[in-house]
Amino acid sequence: MKNKKYWWMMLFILLFSTLLVACGNDEEEETTADNNNDPVETEDPQDNEPSTSRLTGAIHSAPTGLFNPIFYTETYENNILSFTHEALVSQNNNLEFIPQLAKDWETNEDQTEITFFLEEDVTWHDGEPFTAHDVVFTYKTIADPEYGPAGGVRTNFVEPLLGYEAYSSGETDEFVGVTADDDHTVTFHFEAPNVNPLYYSSFSIIPEHIFSDIAVADMPSASATLDPGEVIGTGPFAFTDMVEREQYILTSYENYWQGQPKIDEIVWRVVNHSVMTGLLQTGEVDFIADPEGIAAADYETVEGFGNITIVEQADFGYQLMGFKLNHRTSEDVENGVIDPDNWVENEKVADPLVRQAIAQAINRPGFVNGLLYGRGEVINSPIAPQFWAYTDDVNQNEYNPEAAMALLDEAGYVDVTGDGFRETPDGEEWVLNLDYPQGNELRERSAPIIQENLQEVGININLRQPKEFSAYAEELENDDNDMDLYLIGWSLSSTDPDPSGLWNTTAAYNFSRWNNPESVELLQKALAAPEAFEQDYRTAVYHDWQNLFTEDLPAVILYAQNKLYAYNDRLNGVDPLPYSFINNPHEWWIEE
Amino acid sequence: MYKYIIRRILVFIPMLFALTVMVFALAQAAPGDPFTGRMLDPTVNPEVYQQQREALGLNDPYPVQYMNWMKNILQGDFGNSIYYNGRSVLELISQRFANTLYLGLFSLTITLVVSIPIGIYSAKKPYSILDYATTGFGFLGLAIPNFFFGLIAIYIFAIHFGWFPSQGTVSSNDVTGFAELIDRLHHLVLPGITLGLAGTATYMRYMRSEVLDVLGSDYIRTAKAKGMSSNNVLYKHTLRNALIPIITLMGIEFGVLVSGAVITEQVFNFPGLGTLFLQSITNRDYPVIMSINLLFGVFILVGNLLADIFYCVVDPRIRYD
Repeated sequence: MKNKKYWWMMLFILLFSTLLVACGNDEEEETTADNNNDPVETEDPQDNEPSTSRLTGAIHSAPTGLFNPIFYTETYENNILSFTHEALVSQNNNLEFIPQLAKDWETNEDQTEITFFLEEDVTWHDGEPFTAHDVVFTYKTIADPEYGPAGGVRTNFVEPLLGYEAYSSGETDEFVGVTADDDHTVTFHFEAPNVNPLYYSSFSIIPEHIFSDIAVADMPSASATLDPGEVIGTGPFAFTDMVEREQYILTSYENYWQGQPKIDEIVWRVVNHSVMTGLLQTGEVDFIADPEGIAAADYETVEGFGNITIVEQADFGYQLMGFKLNHRTSEDVENGVIDPDNWVENEKVADPLVRQAIAQAINRPGFVNGLLYGRGEVINSPIAPQFWAYTDDVNQNEYNPEAAMALLDEAGYVDVTGDGFRETPDGEEWVLNLDYPQGNELRERSAPIIQENLQEVGININLRQPKEFSAYAEELENDDNDMDLYLIGWSLSSTDPDPSGLWNTTAAYNFSRWNNPESVELLQKALAAPEAFEQDYRTAVYHDWQNLFTEDLPAVILYAQNKLYAYNDRLNGVDPLPYSFINNPHEWWIEE
Repeated sequence: MYKYIIRRILVFIPMLFALTVMVFALAQAAPGDPFTGRMLDPTVNPEVYQQQREALGLNDPYPVQYMNWMKNILQGDFGNSIYYNGRSVLELISQRFANTLYLGLFSLTITLVVSIPIGIYSAKKPYSILDYATTGFGFLGLAIPNFFFGLIAIYIFAIHFGWFPSQGTVSSNDVTGFAELIDRLHHLVLPGITLGLAGTATYMRYMRSEVLDVLGSDYIRTAKAKGMSSNNVLYKHTLRNALIPIITLMGIEFGVLVSGAVITEQVFNFPGLGTLFLQSITNRDYPVIMSINLLFGVFILVGNLLADIFYCVVDPRIRYD
């Protein structure tokens, strides 16, 4: 008897709690209408005049939570740090460096030094003045011996500085790479004449007065790195509040040195990408920008909303299919050595004619039209087209299956067994292994198309199963295996076009293991003082290099995708840079 | 009874130990390490990753790494995440644990409230229109993928009608007190229903077949023969016996509930353990992978123990000596 009642009571409580939820709905709508601080519920922005102007941006994935320019590694943090932190110099639409925290600068004769004259009335979000000592402190921290082990990865900004080796190895306590001449003058000293000193001085600055008492090893876990309200920068907005992994709230900094921002609050909401365009339509989200933007397939839908502006511009990056020209030996992989002298040539793709044939057999315009809905372009050289260094006046390797077959015949790769696939000139079976990773839908879809294209000209492709990214990256790097063709995408830096990091023979990311002395020579020439101080000279050298690349062809650049930013028309004053949606956000304003 | 519980808990210890070995071995067996997936930023010098591997002890032999890990675990230190750059694993897990628990309990509540009465009713009137309707609904519920149902729910109820929020767990930090409770429940509705859908279908079918089964047994016939009202037969004799398999199911479900619901969490951007777990696997974040696995292990063991204990409550014939 007793038990029966007990069960019914349980059910009753459960039912009651659901009722409570149902009632709660109306209640909440009422309260939000009163407060007006929740744009989630406002279907029509004209219904209410919010007392604070608020803008909502959407990102697909939450930041890891490291709001410190010198320690963050994920692009999502960058969306927040772009509002809160600034560097000495910034870039304009032509990718030239322009003043930001530094109003002017001068270099010495041989470009071993660059002196910056800083803006004088800049203050940090906590009111402390910004000085040259903050700049010194930032670079000194990156050069610290503890910086790498603590998780920092930006050492490439300090490596060319004078005395870096000695300081970072702990030999000396004196950091001489960056010095403060007075409170508002700071000088960078380089070990050797430097071709692009402004690139090295373009790193965001962190406040010395906040971090000076914190050991470098403890900085990533310090509250000044993790907690809203404690993260201090000089930017137009301060990071003030968050619901972790859901919302990140930036509040305008009233004493911002370029004038108080016109928008009170900017909220980044983490939103699932399938829902994003829907929220753009309802007005819950005002803008979608980096890193992914909106999908090319959604372009027309979003355009059809009527109140959304779409900015379409080329992305800094490309997808490629590389040839494994050489493999490393197991011994070298084991010891982590990259020594071209030990490399084993991959004879299957060693003939440049074969590589050109493969490039011409792939229907690259088809990728742009089919996969990217036309929102991208076919490029041939591995330098971002936005750069002064880029040229399209190179070997085009246009899609032409007949020409590809002729090239293969010329190279001696013909079908002797009559099975529809070509054999090597020695009459042996010729199968190319194509590997690719998961994680990028368009890239995954392109792999079987490549296989089909190549089989049409008689190349037997063994398309492997796509691998999960970490596993794939390890195979790509530890390449004592039988990989012949690989797919990968690169995002490029917008600050300097130098491609050595990806294509120099000994570069770790030169996954093709492309060993071409002429390329190495050209890449060095483009950075050698004093000739390379002249941009025209560098441009000419890079043009030669791009010609060499497209002829020797260590990789086929498949396509460069366009970036699609979308924002609600109530947002005004937007002036996207080639590499970022966020440019002078203190000039943004909202018109209801 | 108490002896039994203590014995069961003592058995946990070697099981948990075996679990740590397996968890460690599996985490290490996956190709790649926490830095291989990151090695693709051309502006970053790969040497720094080598430095970090060294600093974290990832280059040590496996037995040494395992011993270090175990030593810390025994002292209650679950280590620091690598992907989250040194943030404590316990902090990361506890942040998401509450969300997962709310979502799990909410969806379980919906599941039970809907499925048990319907299951009983369709067993009482088998092959009626309602029975066919719920059976149809049941198979549909099992067949629709979670993410699909979730997206449809978002488009209809969040975007079109605007009744429910579609993303996240709360509107903002400014909502506090009772309003916060309501707000959180409001955010739970769509993900809760989405997550509960498949469960509802399963439980309903179970309940129906169990009740039908019990209704056909001899002691029920006896009860009916001595003139007991059919409602009395149903609630007093049938229900309790029919609940036993449901409890077994819930014991297993308890572990699943805590392990989170990756798909639902992602569609609704509801940050819970499932997403953290998946992310830690893709990033080879060993300390997080291992800690969450241990946690799941413990919960599944505890869930089964609780189920065994509840058997005694429901069915007095079951005794543990």
